[in-house]
Amino acid sequence: MLDAIDKTLLKTVADLESLPKGAYNIRKNGKLLSRHVSANINIETNADETGIIVKIKPGTKNESVHIPVILSQAGLYDVVYNTFIIGDDAEVTIVAGCGIYCGTSDPEGHAGIHEFKVGKNARVTYVEKHYASGEGKGRRTLNPTTKVFLAEGAHAEMELTQIAGVDEANRVNEALLGPDSLLLITERVLTDGDQTAVSTNNIVLNGAGSRANMISRSVMKGNSRQTFYATMDARNKCYGHIECDAIIMDNGTNETMPSLKAEHPDAELTHEASIGKIASDQLTKLMSLGLTYDQAVNRIIQGFLK
Amino acid sequence: MLELKNLYFTIADHEKSGGIRNIIDGINYAFDDGKFYAITGPNGSGKTSLAKLIMGINPVTKGSIVYDGTEISALTITERARAGIAYSFQQPARFKGITFRDLLTIATGIEDEKKLLAILRRVGICPLSFMDKEVDAKLSGGEIKKIELATTIAANPKLAIYDEPDTGIDLWTIGPMVNLLKKELAENKTTTIVVSHNRSFLEAADVVMIINSGRIVYDGNLEGAMPLLEDLSVCTYRNTCEGEQDAGCYR
Repeated sequence: MLDAIDKTLLKTVADLESLPKGAYNIRKNGKLLSRHVSANINIETNADETGIIVKIKPGTKNESVHIPVILSQAGLYDVVYNTFIIGDDAEVTIVAGCGIYCGTSDPEGHAGIHEFKVGKNARVTYVEKHYASGEGKGRRTLNPTTKVFLAEGAHAEMELTQIAGVDEANRVNEALLGPDSLLLITERVLTDGDQTAVSTNNIVLNGAGSRANMISRSVMKGNSRQTFYATMDARNKCYGHIECDAIIMDNGTNETMPSLKAEHPDAELTHEASIGKIASDQLTKLMSLGLTYDQAVNRIIQGFLK
Repeated sequence: MLELKNLYFTIADHEKSGGIRNIIDGINYAFDDGKFYAITGPNGSGKTSLAKLIMGINPVTKGSIVYDGTEISALTITERARAGIAYSFQQPARFKGITFRDLLTIATGIEDEKKLLAILRRVGICPLSFMDKEVDAKLSGGEIKKIELATTIAANPKLAIYDEPDTGIDLWTIGPMVNLLKKELAENKTTTIVVSHNRSFLEAADVVMIINSGRIVYDGNLEGAMPLLEDLSVCTYRNTCEGEQDAGCYR
């Protein structure tokens, strides 16, 4: 059922060697390939058959859902709308990811619109990896969107990674935070060659006592270009922080625009941003421990994107 | 053995006649194996520049550095590190996403948990949870200096250079730090060069060297160095500021 290319893509985007334990839904070339539900986690196709609805029962503990998407069909642009409804007090890990294998000169692409409704005091960890490969020259596009709604006391930790091979990405993250909720987003994007990536983030701190921390790590190799927008809009007593760092290698370019809006006198918002080459004191230190210049560069980038 | 022969490090300086300035101004010196050297001298005298020349961080302008019978002045930092020279920075680099454990593994090639813990015991770092701390801007000045010292020792160097290892370290830790360097020297015959103003290091050293204006002006025991050190502590800016009059400064 899974061929060699599928297995490589699954391993890269979802750390899966074979079919996972627990609930999963694997989508290949725009169609359902395999699905498994568990006692606490239900997955069903949505009404207009454009995606899935994943429902996690209230109080579910330590369970995981894998929902990888793989594309290896030339000329296909696959769009999915997935909804995750996480019940009150549940604790769950959701692993998503899209792997594209492009063997021809026809373009391939995927847009995943993921909406999360996180119930009261529920905790969700969401891991999403994007990766493209293949010897074909076709343009590979990945446009993920996440929309997060956090109820009172909910926690969401999101790790969003674009590893390699994606020619064009238009990434959007939106979040609306309820009272005492917590959102941690870490986004890592590596581009090379003539690739471009735009990341747009709008986080609304709506509830009293809500907290958000957005960390962005970008590496531009070759002539690639990345643009990062992040807005935190504080509408209550809350705390928000944006940290965005970009490392330029070769002739890459970067624009970073963190923006803070306080619409409440007790809002506390901070940001830090940096763009530059790898710091020479870091390179010198690692070389003084015996690494070559190239090894030191790789080690620093590996840590930065870890 | 480490031998410096007619060593110069020169930079452009438009205020000087000729447009250049010798930061290291023709040093000749032979360091014996397995001895403890403390290099001291006024600020800006060339101590750190000399240490960086030995490690290859500063390029040699003229002269030669011979280490274990090999001319190393054209070798890269990496090659010198692999030849057994280690360097502890005065202001250590801070990273994002690299932990103390990562640095120890890079320095030693060791990933085994028990062996890494043995290194921590050897360098006297606790608690053990320290190992997975990121070596980033959140560390205090003292913490990062301890990590710097540990990665230097862990590499089992034949020649270890420490540039002001006591900066940011609390007074109570300096004694144990001196003892640690002496123990490493006794057990592993590590030739130890410490750049410092701290008396504890000067007292521990076999040889105290005083550098002034890029030249070695003294080498010998601490007792013999004292008159010169007291003399050097007199303001060197007197001629350029207020002369004999009280300028109200505490330099």
